[in-house]
This record gives sequence, structure tokens and C-alpha cells, in this order.
Amino acid sequence: MGQENNLTQKRTTSTGGLPTTTTTTTTNSRNRTLPRGRQIQKTFNNIKITILCGFVTILVLRGTIGVNLGTSQNDAVNAAVIEETNRILAEIRSDSDPSDRNQTETFMSLNETYALGPKILNWDTERTSWLDKNREYPNFVKGKPRILLLTGSPPKPCDNPIGDHYLLKSIKNKIDYCRLHGIEIVYNMAHLDMELAGYWAKLPMIRRLMLSHPEVEWIWWMDSDAFFTDMVFELPMSKYKDYNMVIHGYPDLLFEQNSWIAINTGSFLFRNCQWSLDLLDAWAPMGPKGPIREEAGKILTANLKGRPAFEADDQSALIYLLLSKKDKWMEKVFLENSFYLHGYWAGLVDRYEEMMEKYHPGLGDERWPFVTHFVGCKPCGSYGDYPVERCLSSMERAFNFADNQVLKLYGFRHRGLLSPKIKRIRNETITPLEFVDQFDIRRQHEGTVEPKN
Amino acid sequence: MLERCLGSRRLRQMQRAFRRGTLTFLCLFLTVIVLRGTIGAGKFGTPEQDLNEIRQQLYSRGRRVEPHRVLEEVQSSENNNDNNNYATFDITKILKDEEAGDDEKRDPNTPYTLGPKISDWDEQRSSWLSNNPDYPNFINPNKPRVLLVTGSSPKPCENPVGDHYLLKSIKNKIDYCRLHGIEIFYNMALLDAEMAGFWAKLPLIRKLLLSHPEVEFLWWMDSDAMFTDMAFEVPWERYKDHNFVMHGWNEMIYDEKNWIGLNTGSFLLRNCQWSLDILDAWAPMGPKGKIRDEAGKILTRELKNRPVFEADDQSAMVYLLATGREQWGGKVYLENHYYLHGYWGILVDRYEEMIENYHPGFGDHRWPLVTHFVGCKPCGKFGDYPVERCLKQMDRAYNFGDNQILQMYGFTHKSLASRRVKRVRNESSNPLDVKDELGLLHPAFKAIKLPTSS
Repeated sequence: MGQENNLTQKRTTSTGGLPTTTTTTTTNSRNRTLPRGRQIQKTFNNIKITILCGFVTILVLRGTIGVNLGTSQNDAVNAAVIEETNRILAEIRSDSDPSDRNQTETFMSLNETYALGPKILNWDTERTSWLDKNREYPNFVKGKPRILLLTGSPPKPCDNPIGDHYLLKSIKNKIDYCRLHGIEIVYNMAHLDMELAGYWAKLPMIRRLMLSHPEVEWIWWMDSDAFFTDMVFELPMSKYKDYNMVIHGYPDLLFEQNSWIAINTGSFLFRNCQWSLDLLDAWAPMGPKGPIREEAGKILTANLKGRPAFEADDQSALIYLLLSKKDKWMEKVFLENSFYLHGYWAGLVDRYEEMMEKYHPGLGDERWPFVTHFVGCKPCGSYGDYPVERCLSSMERAFNFADNQVLKLYGFRHRGLLSPKIKRIRNETITPLEFVDQFDIRRQHEGTVEPKN
Repeated sequence: MLERCLGSRRLRQMQRAFRRGTLTFLCLFLTVIVLRGTIGAGKFGTPEQDLNEIRQQLYSRGRRVEPHRVLEEVQSSENNNDNNNYATFDITKILKDEEAGDDEKRDPNTPYTLGPKISDWDEQRSSWLSNNPDYPNFINPNKPRVLLVTGSSPKPCENPVGDHYLLKSIKNKIDYCRLHGIEIFYNMALLDAEMAGFWAKLPLIRKLLLSHPEVEFLWWMDSDAMFTDMAFEVPWERYKDHNFVMHGWNEMIYDEKNWIGLNTGSFLLRNCQWSLDILDAWAPMGPKGKIRDEAGKILTRELKNRPVFEADDQSAMVYLLATGREQWGGKVYLENHYYLHGYWGILVDRYEEMIENYHPGFGDHRWPLVTHFVGCKPCGKFGDYPVERCLKQMDRAYNFGDNQILQMYGFTHKSLASRRVKRVRNESSNPLDVKDELGLLHPAFKAIKLPTSS
């Protein structure tokens, strides 16, 4: 009985309460003789108190730590949902495909020669006769040649989500420029030819589009990491009437130094004609994945200045082609460097504020670059050649720099070149059309009509 | 000592009272804790929340606090050597507002307006059109100039694959619009902070109508809607006497007042005074905060089957039409003969059946024009449907539409679930003799009208 009382004392003091029982038990502990009934009652009371305290403790623990049976169920469900979602996302982002079950990758051997398609010999005459028969699809619209902008990205999600976000911003930027200048866009997300995957994938697509769209006069390839930064500038197509290919580059770097970055295939134009088909056929052989591309890479590194060792890429291959068969091809290739058909980003992005202060859109050159091209950033991959923060903040700046020119018509601009938010620069009015006349970029090119071919 | 001052009996009484008082307080304290723990007494929170808050407080000094996300991808690594690795980068580090001061705070007592009231837009526009014959509002006698408007947030999606699906969606729209001679405006700017969320389209639409007088019809399309019939051309002549075309049913709006009687995810709006007026009448339920919440309650009360949430633009339009039929109903066309908006749930499982039995060009249940993934919210972290179903079906719908584009060039996807393509037509040495089955390479609705004088 004494023991019982001690134990009871211990329990009651641990929950910090119920001193009344303590007092009664302390007084009672002096009296050794207790009637049975009262003993039982006391025991009963103690047990009640114990249970009550136990119950209260459990409830309090549940409330604070969520330790017990009820709350863990929700967590388990949540955890299952998260796991399932992650599994689905991993599946989507992997390169595996339900159609890949029975396929093993085979590469072309060094002995085989690759062809983009059956050789076509009379494309110019075919095209001219088609255009004659289909006059409702002319190759010149309002005096300007019909241009088709081709760009694209791989069919699977980028290795990291920020890459897809910048692909989205990039295509919006291109949509804006092309809407203002009447250019159509084809966004390619399919590998038409598994052998020419990667940067070579543009070749079969260019050829395919040329042959399917005879009404298109020029096909303009643009990389997904290139942004238009001069929304007003228009290509001076009359300059190129005697040429079939327009590419940004420097003659001295190309012919004297044989540099592997003498020209840039991130933004170039091809006329839709037999000459272009022939060039594509001559360009393609270094492309097929596997031993051919590897070997070709070695040849290119050996022959071009500054080229690191890696598999053959389309740019180096084109330089090599133009250098080795200079007499055949260079006559119809225009190396453009009077404006930034391709503008290497590093020297441009920090000067945007200075440009906004001193110059105006429409120049296209180093004062207000036409295109800012983020070579080496590779936001869609896992690693780029430059620090991520620099790349992404520069891309954001370039995007906003261009977007400001589009938003000007609507009376807005970004709150700083790094801000996704906009602010009003012109109040709403009941006669909006006067500003439309003043600010619409399309109207700024009236009167500059090209002579028809 | 105390005993001597107060007398032993007194002391005992005080002690007892003290003990009882302690007991009472203790019990009260326990009761409060237990109640907080079990019921979670409302705004005071639970002890677990307190613990989390304290944790957050302590850690927020060191690194940026990210809200709890189900689909969170960014692992905030302390490794600063990994500068070139995109996976460990947090984009919020670089975005910043430099010129923030300009927030025009609207006086809450004045009613919200989209802009100053314009009353003569039709006259202004027609005189502009006659002064600018190079920018006609009709490309061909039966084909008005159309601007397709869509958009998304300027910040990266919270879902790691959300931006990829937005990219596929805009590619899909680019393809359809290229075939049909429609221009696209992809919006990534929030024009009016008060009309954020689903209401953001209203100020944007008004701004575009006023800035592009040459546009005859503005086609708003949600970013989660995809074109699945590339050959279908909208029957523009049908709407020559109407100004607002939405997918819906007259009975469901005017008789039932059903909140899904129409869909504002894909609609056509003519560029005219009437449209400006209906936008002005539509907007008042939109402003964020108390107005939107109160309006939501009204809409839930008035409309059939509407759940309780803040006012959305679709319910507001249902309400506007149901209560203002005489004023607006005459110029509103509720189209249901083809899927200007097609609810994805009833369409996506039937794609194989459609491929077998029908062909593109119908636009209706046989081959839907638009498959709209309502409720999927691929850009956000939570949708109304399971993630797997949504994303897999969006892939299928995208491929279903893309197959019609690829077949122009002789390719098709290996299956509706596959990203890979296979050749279905061999390359030919006479490419111009080969016709694509659907005639989409040079369709009639894209042909330029030839001058009749020759």
C-alpha cells in the first residue's frame, strides 16, 4: 500500500498536477489501517487519474509532434503522390520511347556514303514551272521575297526545366519578329533522319522544306538560342539578288586564318534553288552519327585553326567545304558582316542600356544588334561553357530588350531588363489610332519595296 | 516563517487555494494545447505549424526560403563550384524589378474600368482602314484577318515539365496558324495587376483590339488547348452577323444558367464597338481581392452546379448573358456544331478510333478541331486530374495534331505515344508531283487572291 502510494505520487507529480490526491495520500500514508472499501476506491481513483493523464499526454503529443496513428496516414499518401509524380516526370524526361523496344542503334560504316535523298537535277526549271502554274502562291509578296524561318529543338524535355522556359521565350521572340515582318515560322521538333541527329538535323529539314514549298524563296535557319534584338531591322534582300547563301562571317578569318569560327551557322539564309540542293548534298557527308562523324571531326580539327577535338559539327564542315572547294561555291555565298545576322552575345549584352540611351532600333549592327546569339550557353543541356548565372541573366536581358520594342506599341515596357513585370509608359486614350500610326513597326517599312525578280 | 505571520490554519488555506489555482491553470493550459493540436483552432495555428515557422525563421537568414511544393525540382545546393550546372540554379536569383515605383494605386471607391470609354470605335476604325488600304481587314472576301492570342506567365513553371508542354502547345498553334494564314500574339506580360489570373486576358484583348485595327477577329486560345484538326477552316461566313463566338449551348446558358454552358478557353471576338462594350460589362467582377471573392459568391448562388471559389471569367460571362440576353444575346453565337473548344476527357481515348474511321476536316466529334485540357494545369503544381493521365494525354493530342503536319512532308509519329517519327512516303526525285493527302501544303484558304484585271 505504501508502495502504491509512492507510485501514485510519482505519476501525479510527473504530469505536474492533481496535488489534491497528493495531499490526501500524504495524510493517508500516516494511517496504515484503511477500510478495504476505501482502498479499492482509492485504487480506482488512481487508475482513473492515470488513464486520464495518459490520454491527455497522448493528445498533446499528437498535437505537437504529430507522432501518432492519425496524422501519419496523410503523410504517407502525400509521399506516395510525390513519388509517383517524380516517376512520371523522370519517364517523360528520359530519352526512352515506347517505340524503341526492338531497335538497336546501327551506325553507318566508313565505307558507305550518305545521301539526303535521291539526286534532283532540274529543280530550278521544276520550280519555275510550278510557280507559273500556281500564281496564287507567288514567291514574291508585296515586292518582298517570301521567307520561311526554320528553327527547332529536340523532342524531349530539356535536361533541366529552365532550358524549356528559355526555349519558350526564344520562340515567342521569333514569333514577334516574324509577325512584324511577314515571315512564316516552322518549328521543328522531329528528327527526320536519326543519322543526322543533333546540330546536323537542320540539313534534312531544310531540304525537305525547300522541296515541299516551292513558293518559298528563302529559307532562314535560326538556332533556338538566338534572339532577335532589333525588331525594326529588315534584311536588305536586294543586296543578295545574285547570291544563294547569306551567312555571317569574316573573309579574312575564313581564307587567311582558316578559323573554325570564321562563319556561324546559327543564323543563315538559303535560296530555294538547285545550287542550294547541291550544297546540301556536298555538306551532308560528314554528318552521319558514329564512326563517320568521329573521323570527320579529326580531319576538321587538323585543318581548321582553333578547333578543339570533338565530332564533326555542321559549322566546321561547311567552313572546310567552302575552303576546299572555294571556286565552286564561294561565288554565290555572301559573307555578311555589315550587321549582326549573328551577334555573339558576350560583347553585346552588357551594352543594352547604353544602346537604349544613345541609339534606336533599325540599325542592326553593333549599335543595336539584329540578332544576339547565345553560343555556348546550352540552356537545354546540363552544362554550358559559361557560368549559368551569366548566361541566364543575359538571355533574360536580351529577351526583355527585344520585348520592350514590341510592347512600345501597346504603351508598356519592362521594369528593368531583368524584370518579368511591365509598367505603363503611355496612358490609355480614347483615340488610340494616332499612336498606332506612330509606333507600329510594320508601318515603318512602307515605301521600301524591292524590285521583283 | 510564514506560518508564524499568518497562523497555520490560514497558511494551509492559502496553500490549498494556491494548489487549486495551479491545478486550474494547468488543466486550462492542457485543454488549450490539446484543442489546438486536435482541432487546429483556426488562425492561431497548430503547434506543428509553430515548429515549422520557427524552423523557417531560423533558416531564412541563411538561404532563400522556398514554399513547399509537391513537384519541387530545385535542390538548393551550397556547392558554389558548380557554376556551370543548370540543375542547381535558382532563377529567382536573377529576376529583379528595377523600376518598381510606378504602381498606380487605383482609388478603391471608383469602379474598375479597363480604360477610358470609347464610343466611336467603329467610325475610328473604318476611317483608319480606308486610309490604309495596305492593311485590309479581309484577306479574301470570305476570309477575315484573324489574330490568335495566347499566353503564359513570364516566370518559369512550377512543374518541371510545364514549360516543355507550353512549348509543344505553341508549336502546335504555330503550325495551325501557318496553314490557315492566321497571325499569333504570344503574351507574357501582365498588363494589369488587378486583373491577374484568368482575368488577365481582358485588358490584353482590349489593348490588342485597339492597337490592331486591321484585325477583324481576335481568337483567344488558352495555353492548354491544342489544335487537333489541322485541315478544318473556321466557317467565317456563318458569323457575319455576330460579334462573339464561343463554344456552348443556348439552352444551358439561357434556360439552365449552367456555369459550364459555354467555354471561354477558345473564342472569337470581332473588332468593333460592341466588343469593347461587352468587355467593359464583363470586367467588373474581375478585380482581385474583395470584389472577386464577393462576385464569386454571387455566381455560385446564381449559376447551376458552380463550386465555391472566386469569380472566374467564364462564370461571369454566363451570368452576363443569362441576365442580359436582350442586350447581348443577339450578337453572341454559341457554336456547338464543331469543337471550337473540345473537352479533353471525352476525346483523347478515341483518337485511334478516329484515325481508323474518319479523316481531318470535320472539326466535330469525328475529328475535333480543338482538344482543351481544362483542369490539367500543366504549368502549376496541382491540377484537378492525375498528373500521369494529363501529361500522357497531352502528348497523344499533340502527336495526333502533329501527324497531320508531318504527313505533308512524308512522315508520321511511330505511335501516338512516341516522340520518334518514321517515314511513310519515300523521297522522290520529282517532289512536285507528289501530293500530300490532305492538301495542306498549298490549301485553298491560304491562296492569295489574284487580281481579276488580267
